[in-house]
Amino acid sequence: MDLLGQYLVNGIMLGTIYALVAVGFTLFFGVLDVIKFSHGDVLMVGAFAGFTAALGAAALGFTNPFVQLAASVLFAVSGTALLGAAIAKWLILPLKNAPRLNILLITLMLGTALRESVRLFYPDGSNPKAFPALLPSTAWQFGNFTLRADSALLVIAGIAVIVGLHMLINRTRLGLAIRAVAQDEETARTMGINYTLIVLVTFALGSGIAAVAGVMNGLYYNEVNFGMGLLLGLIGFSAAIIGGLGNLYGAILGGFLFAALQMIGAVALPFASAYKDVFAFAVVIALMGWKPTGLIPERSSERV
Amino acid sequence: MDAIAPLPAIEISGLYTAYDKADVLTDVNIVAPAGQITCLLGSNGAGKTTLIRSILGLTPPHAGSIKVFGEDVAGLPTHRVIAKGVACIPEGRRMFPKLTVEENLRLGAYQEPAEAEIRRRLAEVYSVFPRLAERRGQLAGTMSGGEQAMVSIGRGLMGKPRVLLIDEPSLGLSPLYVKENFRIIENVRAQGLTVFLVEQNVHQTLAISDSGYVVSGGRVVAQGSAAELRNNADVRAAYFG
Repeated sequence: MDLLGQYLVNGIMLGTIYALVAVGFTLFFGVLDVIKFSHGDVLMVGAFAGFTAALGAAALGFTNPFVQLAASVLFAVSGTALLGAAIAKWLILPLKNAPRLNILLITLMLGTALRESVRLFYPDGSNPKAFPALLPSTAWQFGNFTLRADSALLVIAGIAVIVGLHMLINRTRLGLAIRAVAQDEETARTMGINYTLIVLVTFALGSGIAAVAGVMNGLYYNEVNFGMGLLLGLIGFSAAIIGGLGNLYGAILGGFLFAALQMIGAVALPFASAYKDVFAFAVVIALMGWKPTGLIPERSSERV
Repeated sequence: MDAIAPLPAIEISGLYTAYDKADVLTDVNIVAPAGQITCLLGSNGAGKTTLIRSILGLTPPHAGSIKVFGEDVAGLPTHRVIAKGVACIPEGRRMFPKLTVEENLRLGAYQEPAEAEIRRRLAEVYSVFPRLAERRGQLAGTMSGGEQAMVSIGRGLMGKPRVLLIDEPSLGLSPLYVKENFRIIENVRAQGLTVFLVEQNVHQTLAISDSGYVVSGGRVVAQGSAAELRNNADVRAAYFG
Protein backbone atom coordinates (compact mmCIF):
# COMPACT_ATOMS: atom_id res chain seq x y z
CA MET A 1 0.00 0.00 0.00
CA ASP A 2 2.81 2.42 0.84
CA LEU A 3 4.19 2.26 -2.69
CA LEU A 4 0.75 2.86 -4.15
CA GLY A 5 0.42 5.93 -1.93
CA GLN A 6 3.70 7.32 -3.22
CA TYR A 7 2.59 6.72 -6.79
CA LEU A 8 -0.68 8.47 -6.06
CA VAL A 9 1.07 11.56 -4.69
CA ASN A 10 3.49 11.45 -7.59
CA GLY A 11 0.60 11.17 -10.04
CA ILE A 12 -1.29 14.11 -8.55
CA MET A 13 1.93 16.11 -8.60
CA LEU A 14 2.63 15.36 -12.25
CA GLY A 15 -1.03 15.82 -13.16
CA THR A 16 -0.95 19.30 -11.66
CA ILE A 17 2.18 20.19 -13.62
CA TYR A 18 0.74 18.80 -16.87
CA ALA A 19 -2.54 20.61 -16.30
CA LEU A 20 -0.68 23.89 -15.82
CA VAL A 21 1.09 23.37 -19.15
CA ALA A 22 -2.06 22.24 -20.94
CA VAL A 23 -4.14 25.27 -19.92
CA GLY A 24 -1.63 27.44 -21.77
CA PHE A 25 -2.15 25.54 -25.03
CA THR A 26 -5.88 25.71 -24.61
CA LEU A 27 -5.89 29.45 -23.76
CA PHE A 28 -3.76 30.29 -26.81
CA PHE A 29 -5.90 28.14 -29.06
CA GLY A 30 -9.00 29.72 -27.58
CA VAL A 31 -8.19 33.35 -28.31
CA LEU A 32 -6.18 32.96 -31.48
CA ASP A 33 -6.87 29.49 -32.90
CA VAL A 34 -3.16 28.83 -32.95
CA ILE A 35 -1.00 26.06 -31.58
CA LYS A 36 2.14 27.48 -30.06
CA PHE A 37 4.75 24.77 -30.04
CA SER A 38 7.33 26.87 -28.25
CA HIS A 39 5.23 26.61 -25.08
CA GLY A 40 7.34 23.85 -23.53
CA ASP A 41 10.56 25.74 -24.17
CA VAL A 42 9.04 28.91 -22.76
CA LEU A 43 8.37 26.82 -19.65
CA MET A 44 12.04 25.79 -19.64
CA VAL A 45 13.10 29.45 -19.88
CA GLY A 46 10.79 30.12 -16.93
CA ALA A 47 12.39 27.32 -14.93
CA PHE A 48 15.86 28.71 -15.67
CA ALA A 49 14.72 32.21 -14.76
CA GLY A 50 13.44 30.87 -11.45
CA PHE A 51 16.65 28.91 -10.90
CA THR A 52 18.75 32.00 -11.62
CA ALA A 53 16.67 34.17 -9.32
CA ALA A 54 16.94 31.65 -6.48
CA LEU A 55 20.74 31.56 -6.84
CA GLY A 56 20.82 35.34 -7.24
CA ALA A 57 18.83 35.88 -4.06
CA ALA A 58 21.18 33.51 -2.22
CA ALA A 59 24.22 35.35 -3.64
CA LEU A 60 22.76 38.67 -2.47
CA GLY A 61 22.71 37.30 1.05
CA PHE A 62 19.05 36.32 1.41
CA THR A 63 19.51 33.05 3.23
CA ASN A 64 15.84 32.53 4.08
CA PRO A 65 14.62 29.85 1.65
CA PHE A 66 11.17 31.47 1.49
CA VAL A 67 12.68 34.73 0.25
CA GLN A 68 14.63 32.75 -2.35
CA LEU A 69 11.48 30.92 -3.33
CA ALA A 70 9.48 34.13 -3.63
CA ALA A 71 12.22 35.69 -5.76
CA SER A 72 12.37 32.56 -7.89
CA VAL A 73 8.62 32.38 -8.56
CA LEU A 74 8.22 36.12 -9.03
CA PHE A 75 11.09 36.38 -11.49
CA ALA A 76 10.13 33.22 -13.37
CA VAL A 77 6.48 34.19 -13.75
CA SER A 78 6.99 37.84 -14.67
CA GLY A 79 9.88 37.16 -17.05
CA THR A 80 8.05 34.35 -18.79
CA ALA A 81 4.81 36.34 -18.99
CA LEU A 82 6.74 39.11 -20.77
CA LEU A 83 8.36 36.55 -23.08
CA GLY A 84 4.95 35.07 -23.92
CA ALA A 85 3.44 38.49 -24.65
CA ALA A 86 6.46 39.40 -26.80
CA ILE A 87 6.13 36.18 -28.82
CA ALA A 88 2.45 36.95 -29.37
CA LYS A 89 3.10 40.56 -30.36
CA TRP A 90 6.02 40.10 -32.71
CA LEU A 91 5.70 36.56 -34.01
CA ILE A 92 2.13 35.36 -33.80
CA LEU A 93 -0.14 38.39 -34.25
CA PRO A 94 1.70 39.58 -37.40
CA LEU A 95 1.08 36.13 -38.89
CA LYS A 96 -2.56 36.02 -37.85
CA ASN A 97 -3.84 35.79 -41.40
CA ALA A 98 -1.12 33.45 -42.63
CA PRO A 99 -1.82 29.73 -42.92
CA ARG A 100 -1.99 28.07 -39.49
CA LEU A 101 0.83 25.76 -40.50
CA ASN A 102 3.22 28.73 -40.68
CA ILE A 103 2.57 29.68 -37.07
CA LEU A 104 3.02 26.09 -36.02
CA LEU A 105 6.36 25.90 -37.82
CA ILE A 106 7.57 29.27 -36.59
CA THR A 107 6.82 28.48 -32.97
CA LEU A 108 8.44 25.06 -33.40
CA MET A 109 11.59 26.79 -34.63
CA LEU A 110 11.37 29.42 -31.91
CA GLY A 111 11.25 26.61 -29.35
CA THR A 112 14.44 25.13 -30.78
CA ALA A 113 16.10 28.55 -30.77
CA LEU A 114 15.17 29.09 -27.10
CA ARG A 115 16.37 25.63 -26.15
CA GLU A 116 19.68 25.96 -27.98
CA SER A 117 20.20 29.49 -26.66
CA VAL A 118 19.94 28.28 -23.09
CA ARG A 119 22.21 25.34 -23.85
CA LEU A 120 24.85 27.56 -25.49
CA PHE A 121 24.67 30.83 -23.60
CA TYR A 122 23.66 29.89 -20.06
CA PRO A 123 26.82 29.17 -18.04
CA ASP A 124 27.46 25.45 -18.44
CA GLY A 125 24.00 25.29 -20.00
CA SER A 126 24.34 21.88 -21.58
CA ASN A 127 24.49 20.16 -18.20
CA PRO A 128 21.59 19.70 -15.81
CA LYS A 129 21.47 22.17 -12.92
CA ALA A 130 20.69 21.21 -9.35
CA PHE A 131 17.64 23.25 -8.36
CA PRO A 132 18.04 24.32 -4.73
CA ALA A 133 15.68 22.65 -2.26
CA LEU A 134 13.71 25.69 -1.12
CA LEU A 135 10.79 23.91 0.50
CA PRO A 136 10.80 22.46 4.03
CA SER A 137 11.99 18.87 4.06
CA THR A 138 9.62 17.78 6.83
CA ALA A 139 7.80 14.52 6.23
CA TRP A 140 4.77 12.98 7.88
CA GLN A 141 4.41 9.30 8.46
CA PHE A 142 1.03 7.64 7.99
CA GLY A 143 1.62 3.98 8.69
CA ASN A 144 3.92 2.87 5.91
CA PHE A 145 3.13 5.87 3.77
CA THR A 146 5.33 8.96 3.93
CA LEU A 147 3.93 12.31 2.88
CA ARG A 148 6.64 14.87 2.25
CA ALA A 149 5.82 18.48 3.06
CA ASP A 150 7.43 19.77 -0.13
CA SER A 151 5.27 17.54 -2.35
CA ALA A 152 2.14 18.54 -0.45
CA LEU A 153 2.99 22.25 -0.73
CA LEU A 154 3.69 21.95 -4.46
CA VAL A 155 0.39 20.21 -5.12
CA ILE A 156 -1.50 22.77 -3.04
CA ALA A 157 0.22 25.64 -4.85
CA GLY A 158 -0.46 24.13 -8.26
CA ILE A 159 -4.11 23.51 -7.50
CA ALA A 160 -4.40 27.04 -6.09
CA VAL A 161 -3.12 28.37 -9.43
CA ILE A 162 -5.69 26.27 -11.30
CA VAL A 163 -8.51 27.46 -9.05
CA GLY A 164 -7.26 31.04 -9.38
CA LEU A 165 -7.30 30.73 -13.16
CA HIS A 166 -10.82 29.32 -13.04
CA MET A 167 -11.95 32.33 -10.96
CA LEU A 168 -10.15 34.76 -13.25
CA ILE A 169 -11.77 33.32 -16.36
CA ASN A 170 -15.27 33.00 -14.91
CA ARG A 171 -15.63 35.79 -12.39
CA THR A 172 -13.77 38.80 -13.76
CA ARG A 173 -14.24 41.32 -16.53
CA LEU A 174 -10.90 40.25 -18.02
CA GLY A 175 -12.04 36.63 -18.04
CA LEU A 176 -15.31 37.60 -19.71
CA ALA A 177 -13.33 39.44 -22.39
CA ILE A 178 -11.06 36.41 -22.92
CA ARG A 179 -14.07 34.13 -23.31
CA ALA A 180 -15.76 36.57 -25.67
CA VAL A 181 -12.65 36.82 -27.86
CA ALA A 182 -12.35 33.04 -27.86
CA GLN A 183 -15.93 32.61 -29.08
CA ASP A 184 -16.16 35.37 -31.65
CA GLU A 185 -13.21 37.65 -32.15
CA GLU A 186 -14.95 40.15 -34.39
CA THR A 187 -18.09 40.59 -32.30
CA ALA A 188 -15.86 40.89 -29.22
CA ARG A 189 -14.15 43.82 -30.91
CA THR A 190 -17.46 45.52 -31.60
CA MET A 191 -18.27 45.26 -27.88
CA GLY A 192 -15.36 47.64 -27.35
CA ILE A 193 -12.85 45.02 -26.27
CA ASN A 194 -9.25 45.88 -27.11
CA TYR A 195 -8.54 42.67 -28.99
CA THR A 196 -4.76 43.00 -29.25
CA LEU A 197 -4.47 43.72 -25.54
CA ILE A 198 -6.57 40.70 -24.63
CA VAL A 199 -4.44 38.45 -26.85
CA LEU A 200 -1.23 39.73 -25.27
CA VAL A 201 -2.61 39.37 -21.75
CA THR A 202 -3.77 35.83 -22.52
CA PHE A 203 -0.34 34.85 -23.82
CA ALA A 204 1.30 36.44 -20.78
CA LEU A 205 -1.12 34.56 -18.53
CA GLY A 206 -0.58 31.16 -20.19
CA SER A 207 3.19 31.62 -20.25
CA GLY A 208 3.33 32.76 -16.62
CA ILE A 209 1.38 29.66 -15.61
CA ALA A 210 3.84 27.53 -17.57
CA ALA A 211 6.65 29.15 -15.57
CA VAL A 212 4.91 28.04 -12.37
CA ALA A 213 4.90 24.51 -13.78
CA GLY A 214 8.58 24.84 -14.67
CA VAL A 215 9.58 25.96 -11.18
CA MET A 216 7.38 23.24 -9.64
CA ASN A 217 9.07 20.69 -11.83
CA GLY A 218 12.48 22.00 -10.78
CA LEU A 219 11.59 21.88 -7.10
CA TYR A 220 10.10 18.41 -7.37
CA TYR A 221 12.99 16.79 -9.23
CA ASN A 222 15.65 19.15 -7.81
CA GLU A 223 16.84 19.68 -11.35
CA VAL A 224 16.41 21.86 -14.40
CA ASN A 225 17.90 21.24 -17.82
CA PHE A 226 17.69 22.87 -21.22
CA GLY A 227 15.69 20.01 -22.72
CA MET A 228 13.01 19.74 -20.00
CA GLY A 229 10.47 21.67 -22.06
CA LEU A 230 10.42 19.16 -24.89
CA LEU A 231 8.62 16.34 -23.14
CA LEU A 232 6.62 18.63 -20.83
CA GLY A 233 5.43 20.63 -23.84
CA LEU A 234 4.47 17.51 -25.73
CA ILE A 235 2.63 16.08 -22.73
CA GLY A 236 0.87 19.38 -22.07
CA PHE A 237 -0.18 19.56 -25.71
CA SER A 238 -1.44 15.96 -25.65
CA ALA A 239 -3.34 16.69 -22.44
CA ALA A 240 -4.99 19.73 -24.03
CA ILE A 241 -5.90 17.68 -27.12
CA ILE A 242 -7.40 14.71 -25.30
CA GLY A 243 -9.34 17.08 -23.05
CA GLY A 244 -10.67 19.01 -26.04
CA LEU A 245 -8.52 21.88 -27.29
CA GLY A 246 -10.01 25.24 -26.33
CA ASN A 247 -11.72 23.92 -23.22
CA LEU A 248 -10.05 24.89 -19.96
CA TYR A 249 -11.51 22.05 -17.92
CA GLY A 250 -10.70 19.58 -20.67
CA ALA A 251 -7.07 20.61 -20.43
CA ILE A 252 -7.02 20.14 -16.66
CA LEU A 253 -8.74 16.79 -16.99
CA GLY A 254 -6.31 15.81 -19.75
CA GLY A 255 -3.33 16.70 -17.59
CA PHE A 256 -4.46 14.52 -14.71
CA LEU A 257 -5.50 11.77 -17.10
CA PHE A 258 -2.06 11.67 -18.69
CA ALA A 259 -0.39 11.49 -15.29
CA ALA A 260 -2.77 8.68 -14.33
CA LEU A 261 -1.85 6.80 -17.49
CA GLN A 262 1.84 7.17 -16.71
CA MET A 263 1.26 5.85 -13.21
CA ILE A 264 -0.76 2.91 -14.51
CA GLY A 265 2.02 2.28 -17.00
CA ALA A 266 4.58 2.34 -14.21
CA VAL A 267 2.69 0.31 -11.60
CA ALA A 268 0.03 -1.90 -13.02
CA LEU A 269 1.45 -3.19 -16.26
CA PRO A 270 3.70 -6.20 -16.59
CA PHE A 271 6.66 -4.39 -18.11
CA ALA A 272 9.37 -2.10 -16.84
CA SER A 273 8.30 1.36 -15.65
CA ALA A 274 10.56 2.91 -18.28
CA TYR A 275 7.76 2.09 -20.73
CA LYS A 276 5.27 4.32 -18.94
CA ASP A 277 5.49 7.10 -21.55
CA VAL A 278 5.13 4.60 -24.38
CA PHE A 279 1.98 3.29 -22.72
CA ALA A 280 0.59 6.75 -21.96
CA PHE A 281 1.14 8.10 -25.47
CA ALA A 282 -0.26 4.90 -27.00
CA VAL A 283 -3.44 5.41 -25.01
CA VAL A 284 -3.51 9.07 -26.12
CA ILE A 285 -3.37 7.90 -29.74
CA ALA A 286 -6.22 5.47 -29.10
CA LEU A 287 -8.24 8.17 -27.33
CA MET A 288 -7.78 10.52 -30.24
CA GLY A 289 -8.98 7.85 -32.62
CA TRP A 290 -12.03 7.31 -30.44
CA LYS A 291 -12.83 10.98 -29.74
CA PRO A 292 -11.01 13.16 -32.28
CA THR A 293 -12.35 16.40 -30.77
CA GLY A 294 -11.38 15.49 -27.23
CA LEU A 295 -13.29 14.35 -24.19
CA ILE A 296 -14.95 17.73 -23.65
CA PRO A 297 -15.20 19.12 -27.17
CA GLU A 298 -15.32 22.88 -27.29
CA ARG A 299 -15.47 23.80 -30.91
CA SER A 300 -17.14 21.17 -33.01
CA SER A 301 -20.68 22.41 -32.45
CA GLU A 302 -19.76 26.04 -32.81
CA ARG A 303 -18.86 26.15 -36.47
CA VAL A 304 -21.94 27.69 -38.02
CA MET B 1 -30.24 68.08 -45.50
CA ASP B 2 -31.84 69.86 -42.62
CA ALA B 3 -30.17 73.28 -42.41
CA ILE B 4 -30.61 73.71 -38.66
CA ALA B 5 -29.29 70.26 -37.79
CA PRO B 6 -26.40 70.23 -35.28
CA LEU B 7 -23.21 68.25 -35.89
CA PRO B 8 -24.24 65.10 -37.73
CA ALA B 9 -23.89 61.82 -35.84
CA ILE B 10 -22.17 60.23 -38.80
CA GLU B 11 -20.66 62.03 -41.74
CA ILE B 12 -18.98 59.89 -44.35
CA SER B 13 -17.19 61.56 -47.23
CA GLY B 14 -15.32 60.19 -50.21
CA LEU B 15 -15.14 56.72 -48.70
CA TYR B 16 -13.37 53.92 -50.56
CA THR B 17 -13.12 50.47 -49.01
CA ALA B 18 -11.57 47.43 -50.65
CA TYR B 19 -11.16 43.74 -49.97
CA ASP B 20 -7.89 42.55 -51.47
CA LYS B 21 -7.51 45.69 -53.59
CA ALA B 22 -10.90 45.35 -55.32
CA ASP B 23 -13.02 48.33 -54.33
CA VAL B 24 -16.28 47.38 -52.70
CA LEU B 25 -17.27 50.93 -51.77
CA THR B 26 -16.61 53.74 -54.23
CA ASP B 27 -16.81 57.41 -53.26
CA VAL B 28 -19.55 56.95 -50.69
CA ASN B 29 -20.92 60.12 -49.08
CA ILE B 30 -23.49 59.75 -46.33
CA VAL B 31 -24.76 61.99 -43.56
CA ALA B 32 -26.78 60.62 -40.65
CA PRO B 33 -28.23 63.56 -38.70
CA ALA B 34 -28.23 63.30 -34.91
CA GLY B 35 -31.41 62.04 -33.30
CA GLN B 36 -32.86 60.62 -36.50
CA ILE B 37 -33.22 57.25 -38.16
CA THR B 38 -31.21 57.14 -41.35
CA CYS B 39 -31.54 54.02 -43.41
CA LEU B 40 -29.31 52.39 -45.96
CA LEU B 41 -31.13 50.26 -48.51
CA GLY B 42 -29.67 47.94 -51.06
CA SER B 43 -29.74 44.40 -52.28
CA ASN B 44 -27.31 41.64 -51.32
CA GLY B 45 -23.75 42.47 -52.26
CA ALA B 46 -24.43 46.19 -52.65
CA GLY B 47 -21.86 47.02 -49.96
CA LYS B 48 -24.15 47.71 -47.00
CA THR B 49 -22.38 45.47 -44.54
CA THR B 50 -18.99 46.64 -45.81
CA LEU B 51 -20.03 50.18 -44.97
CA ILE B 52 -20.88 49.15 -41.40
CA ARG B 53 -17.56 47.29 -41.17
CA SER B 54 -15.74 50.38 -42.39
CA ILE B 55 -17.36 52.58 -39.74
CA LEU B 56 -16.49 50.04 -37.04
CA GLY B 57 -12.89 49.69 -38.21
CA LEU B 58 -13.29 45.99 -38.95
CA THR B 59 -12.51 46.59 -42.63
CA PRO B 60 -10.71 49.93 -42.58
CA PRO B 61 -11.27 52.18 -45.61
CA HIS B 62 -8.30 53.12 -47.76
CA ALA B 63 -9.54 56.61 -48.56
CA GLY B 64 -12.06 59.08 -47.25
CA SER B 65 -13.22 60.11 -43.81
CA ILE B 66 -15.80 58.83 -41.33
CA LYS B 67 -16.72 61.44 -38.75
CA VAL B 68 -18.67 60.52 -35.62
CA PHE B 69 -19.96 63.75 -34.09
CA GLY B 70 -17.17 65.57 -35.91
CA GLU B 71 -14.30 63.25 -34.95
CA ASP B 72 -12.65 61.25 -37.70
CA VAL B 73 -12.64 57.56 -36.78
CA ALA B 74 -11.54 56.14 -40.15
CA GLY B 75 -8.82 53.56 -39.57
CA LEU B 76 -9.05 53.59 -35.77
CA PRO B 77 -9.04 50.19 -34.03
CA THR B 78 -12.58 49.04 -33.32
CA HIS B 79 -12.52 49.52 -29.55
CA ARG B 80 -11.61 53.19 -30.02
CA VAL B 81 -14.50 53.70 -32.45
CA ILE B 82 -16.82 52.16 -29.84
CA ALA B 83 -15.38 54.55 -27.26
CA LYS B 84 -16.72 57.47 -29.36
CA GLY B 85 -20.23 56.31 -28.52
CA VAL B 86 -20.94 53.86 -31.32
CA ALA B 87 -22.63 50.50 -30.84
CA CYS B 88 -23.63 47.87 -33.34
CA ILE B 89 -26.39 45.32 -33.56
CA PRO B 90 -24.74 43.04 -36.08
CA GLU B 91 -26.23 41.08 -38.91
CA GLY B 92 -27.22 37.58 -37.85
CA ARG B 93 -27.30 38.69 -34.18
CA ARG B 94 -23.84 37.24 -33.45
CA MET B 95 -24.50 36.00 -29.93
CA PHE B 96 -21.71 34.62 -27.82
CA PRO B 97 -23.42 31.22 -27.74
CA LYS B 98 -21.56 29.82 -24.73
CA LEU B 99 -22.04 32.86 -22.55
CA THR B 100 -25.18 33.45 -20.56
CA VAL B 101 -27.73 36.05 -21.55
CA GLU B 102 -26.52 38.32 -18.78
CA GLU B 103 -22.86 37.89 -19.76
CA ASN B 104 -23.77 38.79 -23.33
CA LEU B 105 -25.53 41.91 -22.11
CA ARG B 106 -22.63 42.84 -19.83
CA LEU B 107 -20.27 42.67 -22.78
CA GLY B 108 -22.38 45.37 -24.42
CA ALA B 109 -21.34 47.64 -21.54
CA TYR B 110 -17.72 46.45 -21.58
CA GLN B 111 -16.30 49.97 -21.63
CA GLU B 112 -18.42 51.09 -18.67
CA PRO B 113 -16.30 50.71 -15.52
CA ALA B 114 -19.00 51.41 -12.89
CA GLU B 115 -20.81 48.27 -11.73
CA ALA B 116 -23.74 50.32 -10.41
CA GLU B 117 -24.27 51.86 -13.85
CA ILE B 118 -24.04 48.44 -15.53
CA ARG B 119 -26.71 47.11 -13.15
CA ARG B 120 -28.92 50.11 -13.86
CA ARG B 121 -28.66 49.46 -17.61
CA LEU B 122 -29.30 45.74 -17.12
CA ALA B 123 -32.49 46.60 -15.25
CA GLU B 124 -33.48 48.90 -18.10
CA VAL B 125 -32.92 46.21 -20.75
CA TYR B 126 -34.80 43.67 -18.64
CA SER B 127 -37.74 46.06 -18.40
CA VAL B 128 -37.84 46.33 -22.20
CA PHE B 129 -37.42 42.55 -22.62
CA PRO B 130 -38.92 40.80 -19.58
CA ARG B 131 -38.23 37.48 -21.32
CA LEU B 132 -34.49 38.10 -21.00
CA ALA B 133 -34.81 38.69 -17.26
CA GLU B 134 -36.38 35.25 -16.90
CA ARG B 135 -33.53 33.72 -18.89
CA ARG B 136 -30.59 35.71 -17.67
CA GLY B 137 -28.65 32.61 -16.64
CA GLN B 138 -29.33 30.63 -19.79
CA LEU B 139 -26.65 30.13 -22.45
CA ALA B 140 -27.47 32.45 -25.33
CA GLY B 141 -26.80 29.73 -27.89
CA THR B 142 -29.71 27.67 -26.59
CA MET B 143 -32.32 30.37 -27.19
CA SER B 144 -34.68 30.79 -30.12
CA GLY B 145 -33.88 33.17 -32.96
CA GLY B 146 -36.33 35.76 -31.72
CA GLU B 147 -34.95 35.65 -28.19
CA GLN B 148 -31.43 35.95 -29.55
CA ALA B 149 -32.53 39.04 -31.44
CA MET B 150 -33.65 40.51 -28.10
CA VAL B 151 -30.24 39.76 -26.59
CA SER B 152 -28.55 41.35 -29.58
CA ILE B 153 -30.65 44.51 -29.34
CA GLY B 154 -30.31 44.64 -25.56
CA ARG B 155 -26.56 44.21 -25.87
CA GLY B 156 -26.43 47.11 -28.33
CA LEU B 157 -28.31 49.32 -25.88
CA MET B 158 -26.15 48.31 -22.90
CA GLY B 159 -23.31 50.53 -24.13
CA LYS B 160 -25.54 53.64 -23.91
CA PRO B 161 -24.38 54.60 -27.39
CA ARG B 162 -24.96 57.93 -29.10
CA VAL B 163 -25.13 56.17 -32.47
CA LEU B 164 -26.57 52.73 -32.99
CA LEU B 165 -25.68 50.85 -36.16
CA ILE B 166 -28.22 48.16 -36.92
CA ASP B 167 -27.45 45.64 -39.66
CA GLU B 168 -30.45 43.79 -41.11
CA PRO B 169 -32.48 43.33 -37.93
CA SER B 170 -35.28 41.55 -39.76
CA LEU B 171 -33.08 38.90 -41.37
CA GLY B 172 -34.33 35.42 -40.60
CA LEU B 173 -37.02 36.50 -38.14
CA SER B 174 -40.74 35.81 -38.20
CA PRO B 175 -42.98 38.77 -39.20
CA LEU B 176 -44.13 39.15 -35.61
CA TYR B 177 -40.60 39.63 -34.32
CA VAL B 178 -39.75 41.90 -37.25
CA LYS B 179 -42.65 44.17 -36.33
CA GLU B 180 -41.61 44.13 -32.68
CA ASN B 181 -38.00 44.98 -33.61
CA PHE B 182 -39.03 47.94 -35.71
CA ARG B 183 -41.21 49.20 -32.86
CA ILE B 184 -38.20 49.01 -30.52
CA ILE B 185 -36.00 50.84 -33.02
CA GLU B 186 -38.55 53.65 -33.10
CA ASN B 187 -38.57 53.77 -29.29
CA VAL B 188 -34.79 53.99 -29.28
CA ARG B 189 -34.95 57.01 -31.54
CA ALA B 190 -37.58 58.56 -29.32
CA GLN B 191 -35.00 58.47 -26.52
CA GLY B 192 -32.70 60.70 -28.58
CA LEU B 193 -30.39 58.09 -30.05
CA THR B 194 -29.23 58.28 -33.63
CA VAL B 195 -29.98 55.15 -35.59
CA PHE B 196 -28.23 54.07 -38.75
CA LEU B 197 -30.31 51.23 -40.08
CA VAL B 198 -29.19 48.87 -42.81
CA GLU B 199 -32.02 46.86 -44.33
CA GLN B 200 -33.45 45.06 -47.31
CA ASN B 201 -36.97 45.29 -45.99
CA VAL B 202 -37.91 48.52 -47.79
CA HIS B 203 -41.52 49.10 -46.72
CA GLN B 204 -41.09 48.79 -42.99
CA THR B 205 -37.72 50.53 -43.03
CA LEU B 206 -38.94 53.60 -44.87
CA ALA B 207 -42.01 53.70 -42.62
CA ILE B 208 -39.87 54.44 -39.55
CA SER B 209 -36.91 56.27 -41.18
CA ASP B 210 -36.46 60.02 -41.48
CA SER B 211 -34.18 59.82 -44.47
CA GLY B 212 -32.22 57.24 -46.37
CA TYR B 213 -29.72 56.21 -48.98
CA VAL B 214 -29.83 53.50 -51.61
CA VAL B 215 -26.60 51.74 -52.49
CA SER B 216 -25.91 49.55 -55.46
CA GLY B 217 -22.58 48.18 -56.64
CA GLY B 218 -20.81 50.02 -53.85
CA ARG B 219 -22.11 53.46 -54.80
CA VAL B 220 -24.88 55.64 -53.47
CA VAL B 221 -27.45 55.67 -56.27
CA ALA B 222 -30.27 57.53 -54.56
CA GLN B 223 -30.84 59.56 -51.43
CA GLY B 224 -33.47 61.70 -49.83
CA SER B 225 -36.17 61.80 -47.21
CA ALA B 226 -38.13 58.64 -46.58
CA ALA B 227 -41.07 60.06 -48.52
CA GLU B 228 -38.87 61.00 -51.47
CA LEU B 229 -37.34 57.55 -51.57
CA ARG B 230 -40.75 55.94 -51.50
CA ASN B 231 -41.68 57.88 -54.62
CA ASN B 232 -38.31 57.63 -56.34
CA ALA B 233 -38.66 55.81 -59.65
CA ASP B 234 -35.32 53.98 -59.32
CA VAL B 235 -36.10 52.71 -55.87
CA ARG B 236 -39.51 51.63 -57.01
CA ALA B 237 -37.97 49.84 -59.95
CA ALA B 238 -35.40 48.14 -57.77
CA TYR B 239 -37.63 47.12 -54.90
CA PHE B 240 -41.30 47.56 -55.50
CA GLY B 241 -41.34 45.69 -58.79
